[in-house]
This record gives sequence, structure tokens and C-alpha cells, in this order.
Amino acid sequence: MNAPDIGLFSLFFASIFTSNILLANFLGMCSFIAISKDLKSSNGLGLAVTVVLTVTGAANWLILHYILIPYDLIYLRFIIFILVIAAMVQILEMVIDRVSQKLYITLGIFLPLITVNCAILGVSLFIEIREYNFVQTVIYSLGSGLGWWLAIVALAAIRNKTEKTKTVPAGLQGSGLTMITIGLMALAFIGFSGMLSVQ
Amino acid sequence: MYDTIFQKQKVMRRVVYSLIPLFLMALYLYGWRVLAHTAVIFAAGILTEYIFERKRGKKVSEAVLVTCALFTLSLPPALPVWISVVGIVFAVAVVKEMYGGFGRNIFNPAIGGRLFIWIAFAAPFASAWMEAGGFGTGEAGIDLVTAATPLEQMQNGTLPDIWSLIIGTRAGSMGESSILLITIAGLYLVFTKTAQWRLVVSTILGALALSAGLYWAGVTDVAPHYAMLSGSIWFGAFYFATDPITAPNKKSAQWIYGILIGSISILVRVFTDFNAGLSFGVFVANVFSSLLDELMPAPRKKKAAKPAKTSAKPKEAAA
Repeated sequence: MNAPDIGLFSLFFASIFTSNILLANFLGMCSFIAISKDLKSSNGLGLAVTVVLTVTGAANWLILHYILIPYDLIYLRFIIFILVIAAMVQILEMVIDRVSQKLYITLGIFLPLITVNCAILGVSLFIEIREYNFVQTVIYSLGSGLGWWLAIVALAAIRNKTEKTKTVPAGLQGSGLTMITIGLMALAFIGFSGMLSVQ
Repeated sequence: MYDTIFQKQKVMRRVVYSLIPLFLMALYLYGWRVLAHTAVIFAAGILTEYIFERKRGKKVSEAVLVTCALFTLSLPPALPVWISVVGIVFAVAVVKEMYGGFGRNIFNPAIGGRLFIWIAFAAPFASAWMEAGGFGTGEAGIDLVTAATPLEQMQNGTLPDIWSLIIGTRAGSMGESSILLITIAGLYLVFTKTAQWRLVVSTILGALALSAGLYWAGVTDVAPHYAMLSGSIWFGAFYFATDPITAPNKKSAQWIYGILIGSISILVRVFTDFNAGLSFGVFVANVFSSLLDELMPAPRKKKAAKPAKTSAKPKEAAA
């Protein structure tokens, strides 16, 4: 195994800004659009995604390199990765239920749906394809989570303004305009492309 | 006739007035192409806004004139005119009107339009720079000759003449080149309180600090004063960073916003394939502008008077 030669700091910076998991890779869109209506719950979801991403990224790396590769079970990776993610989400759900009942209710169905949040499986698979070593894996998953978090709170703050506007054309109100906003956000982030490489 | 189509906005009118010298300069530098772009862009922009606003039963805002003027000045002179039409229609329709019209847009329309055509039509954009001077006749004769902008020159290691940077006789976007005229026009805006000085200063500081830091760290060989005078940092600091609608309202948020614009512009310019970064700087800062306003603590009572004034500006203008 030969890990790519990337400095940890530039990998961290790149995973937050220049190859943002949402705005450059377009992973994790469904909850990005659905939960970004108010700042508080999007903040909670961002935190949850960051935690799940970091822990599952690390756990999946360990499983991949100490179980799947030695026993030649690599073809099972999708199922195993999803299982690990599902277990993590289950634990997190119990924690949130305990700590903040209100956040638990606002997140509602989207909390268990983190399981099928493409960003999380996507990061695990990127880690495998790009052959990161363990430290890089942790940095990359943490950075991706923070990038996701940053993007969703930025969108929530923007929607805070746009949803109050009565003059938006009727057909575009709500998620229609949100799609346009996301497109424009991605247009802004194109500027970073080619700045730092992640693989 | 004019009154039936437009609603009067004093602030926006001042911005348009301040842009007139820049237009004259562009006319001297690039000749008839400026006129062609101006005519077509204003017609298409106003028409687009008119179609949207008529549905709402409102008049066209004079802000669209500012958008059209800034958009025109930010384009390379030899760009095919139909591309600039695509840009202005995108700018007014998608970036502004779909968000509910004047005062509601999150992103700066002129920048949005420019980025859209820059990315969609990268090749024509890259070869649309012209040699400046002589009302567009240049040394090019009838056919246009593409010229390297100072930023491209510096990437190749040659330093442009500093006087030509200040006066503006260098290749570049139509209105970005003359530092001297932009400064005079910009100071007029600042002193008439049309533009917020905090945004101008913080943008310039952000760009200056980062370019100086990168120069001394040995990452680039472009000295900070060259970095500041070339490209569109100066133009952007006075005209795009100060857009009262897309900038945040709180004082502390405005400082961060400006520094973001300046530093991202330099980052994009130095580290990516794009050779000019100001539009990206403004657009990325637009993404975070609402968030900055939410995150920054509310100003204390005594200081509350001033931010309230700036935030009231678009409303006053709309009235």
C-alpha cells in the first residue's frame, strides 16, 4: 500500500474548501436540501454528519485493512461499510435523543437517513480508492465533515433570507430556489478547482 | 416615458454617474466595441428585468442600470457580443429576479453573469483581451490581436510598466484598468456615503496582506504593489465589495467579508488555473455573507445607529 504524498494540512484544507464534499463532489444532497430550512437544525445535522463521518471513516479504514484485505473479502466492502455506518448512526441517534429532544424531533426521519447519506459512504469509498493511510483518513473524513457542515449552515443562512421573500416566482418557492442557490454556490466554489489535489 | 418604466433610486444613480469616466476611458482604450457591448447589454438587461417586473406590476429598478454597467466594464473587450447577452440575461433573470428582484438577491448579479459566461465559454473569454489605446484601433489594424493582461505577463515573468498600470493603458477588462479614475470615482462614492468605506478598506487590506505574505514567503515573484494594481482588485474593492445588498450589515461581519474577498481573490489568482480571482472572491464571500451576519453578535446599543443606517439604504432607495 502506498499512500498518496499529500501534506496533512493541505489535505485538511482541501477537503473543507477546494474539494468540498457537497459543492465540488455533490454528495449528500438530499438532507442538504431538506434540513437547511433553519440554522439551528442544520447546525445540529452538520455536527451529526461530521461525527459520523469521522468515526466511520476511521472504522471503515481499520476494517478494510485488517479484515477485508487480509481475508480477501474486498467484494463485501459496500455491505460492510453500510453496516458500520448504520451502527454508528444508531448509537448517535440514541445520544441525540438523550441530549437534545428538540433537535431529535427537528431532524426526524433525516437522522436515521444519515445512514444512506451518500457523503458518508462516498468518503469511505474515496478513502479506499485514493489509498490514504490512517492519519490521512482521519484528517480527510474530519475535513469532509466540516466542509459539509460549513456548506449546510451557509445555505441555511441564505434560505433564512430567501424564504421570507414574497416576490419569488411561485413555481420557484422553496426547494426550486434552493436548487438555484446551490448551483450558484457551486459556481463560486469552481474558483478553487485545481488549487490543491486530494489524491 | 422614462418614469413609466423606471423607479427612481438616488443611490443607484450616483453609482451610474461615477461610472461615466470609466466608460469614457474604456471608449478611448477599446473604441466601438465598448459601445456595441454597452448598447446590447443595457437593452437585454433592462428588457429581462422589465419582463419579470411587469408580472409583479412593478417598475424596473435603476439598480439594473448599475448591474449592466458593472457587467459591461468587467468583460474583456473583444468578447463576442452574443456571449455578453447570455451573461446579462443570466445575471438579471437567475441571479436577481428569481430571488424576488431588487434588494432580495443573495449573490451579486453582475459577478454571477460574468462567472457564468467565463466558465461556460472559457475559450472565447481567454482570447478576448486586446491591446489598449487609440480608440480600439491599437496596433492591431482591422483584425484584433489578443494581448496578454498584466497578470498573464507576470505569470510569464515580465513586469509591466507601473505608470501604464496606474493610468490604465494596459490590456484587461474594459473598465478595470485605470487605477487613477477608479480611485477618484470610488472616493466620490465613499464621500457621498454611497459605498461603505469599511468594505473597501478591508478588501484592499485582505488582498494586500495575503499578496505581501506570499511574496515574502517566496511562493510568488509578484511584488504586492504590482499585485494590487493589476487585475480587478481595485475595481472590485470599490464597486463589487460595496454592493449594499449582498454585503453583510453588521460592522464586524463587514470586516470579515472584505478580508475574505481580498484574500480569496489572491488565493485563486496565485494557486489555480484561473488567472484572475476577484469575481470568485466576491462570489464566495456572497455565499458566506448571510452566515456572517447570523454569526456575528448584535452590535451594542450605542453603535447600533450606524449599521441600521447602512441596512436602511436599499429600502430608502426602493422608496
